[in-house]
Amino acid sequence: MAEELVLDTAIRDWVLIPLSVVMVLIGVLRYFVSKLMRTSQLPDAKIIKEGQVIIRARNLRAAANFIPAKAFRARKLYYTNEDNGLLHVPKGQAQNPQAQMFSDPNMAMDMMKKNLSMIIPQTLTFAWVNFFFSGFVAAKIPFPLTQRFRSMLQNGIDLSTVDVSYVSSRSWYFLNLFGLRGLFSLILGEENATDDTQRMMQMSGFGFDPSKSLGAEKDGLDIVQHEWVLPKFEQRAEAVLRKRLS
Amino acid sequence: MAGHDDSGASGKKSSENEVPTFNVENMQSNMKVVYYSRTFMSIIGGVIAGILGFTGLMGFVVYVLVMAITSVCLTAKAGFSIHSYFDSWNRVLMDGFLGGLLSFVLFWTFAYDIVHIF
Repeated sequence: MAEELVLDTAIRDWVLIPLSVVMVLIGVLRYFVSKLMRTSQLPDAKIIKEGQVIIRARNLRAAANFIPAKAFRARKLYYTNEDNGLLHVPKGQAQNPQAQMFSDPNMAMDMMKKNLSMIIPQTLTFAWVNFFFSGFVAAKIPFPLTQRFRSMLQNGIDLSTVDVSYVSSRSWYFLNLFGLRGLFSLILGEENATDDTQRMMQMSGFGFDPSKSLGAEKDGLDIVQHEWVLPKFEQRAEAVLRKRLS
Repeated sequence: MAGHDDSGASGKKSSENEVPTFNVENMQSNMKVVYYSRTFMSIIGGVIAGILGFTGLMGFVVYVLVMAITSVCLTAKAGFSIHSYFDSWNRVLMDGFLGGLLSFVLFWTFAYDIVHIF
């Protein structure tokens, strides 16, 4: 019962292509605007220091097997010692970064700016699409879907016998929204602020970083089993030399 | 195939052979190359599937085929010794699979509509 609808050529010219072009242009615009608006945020010295300590602890954990056992233990104690180890955060201080982040006017403003610059173009475009391009079939998706998707994809079309493959322009908007992320990452360099979830994760991890990951690194260091690989290296060197010379 | 080859994946193992150590920067750059290749190929594959008029399941078969070709070419570029460029097979085979799917569907729909329901 594949009724092949014949759709007007004008729909192609005036709906699909302009919508895609507009979304690409808005994405590019948003990228440049966010680059311009990125105020030079003076990094907080304390947070950077803690971040560097975390990186050092992580390096120690990763390369633990290349230093002798005694040296490793000395370094480990330096980090995890209960009294003055670098990674030991007193309990009362643990809550501070979070509260500080939300009350710090600079950071709050930055977060709000970034949120707005994401949400406003999407909302505006969505409203524009709904206003101008509703009430007709816009595209045909090449694969069949079940009937349950009908209400989601065909919101403006009030005929219930039309094949679910024929969708309205709202679903074309959503398809563009998700599909153009890949295109943006190709033409705009690296993955930029067009991806909501990634940005949200980055945002939420920023303030909690110092307090929680210090504890996590400390636990990680405590767990490491040290096994010195250097004694075996003589054999390995011998094997490599043998291979070279033979 | 339009050779979307970046300037080669950079080898990342340090001098040890038994103890696996990874140079994180190189590994990240390799992963980026894989990601870009997959995205590009999924876009091209979408356009091809749309122009040729595949519908339904055949289109997804085309997508899997294009991803497989990309994997084979990436493996060939890495000289078939995956372990000196990536830390596991999964990374080079499975990484951008789902991410590319959405772009594929978008361009597939686009090309299909433009060409066939015009």
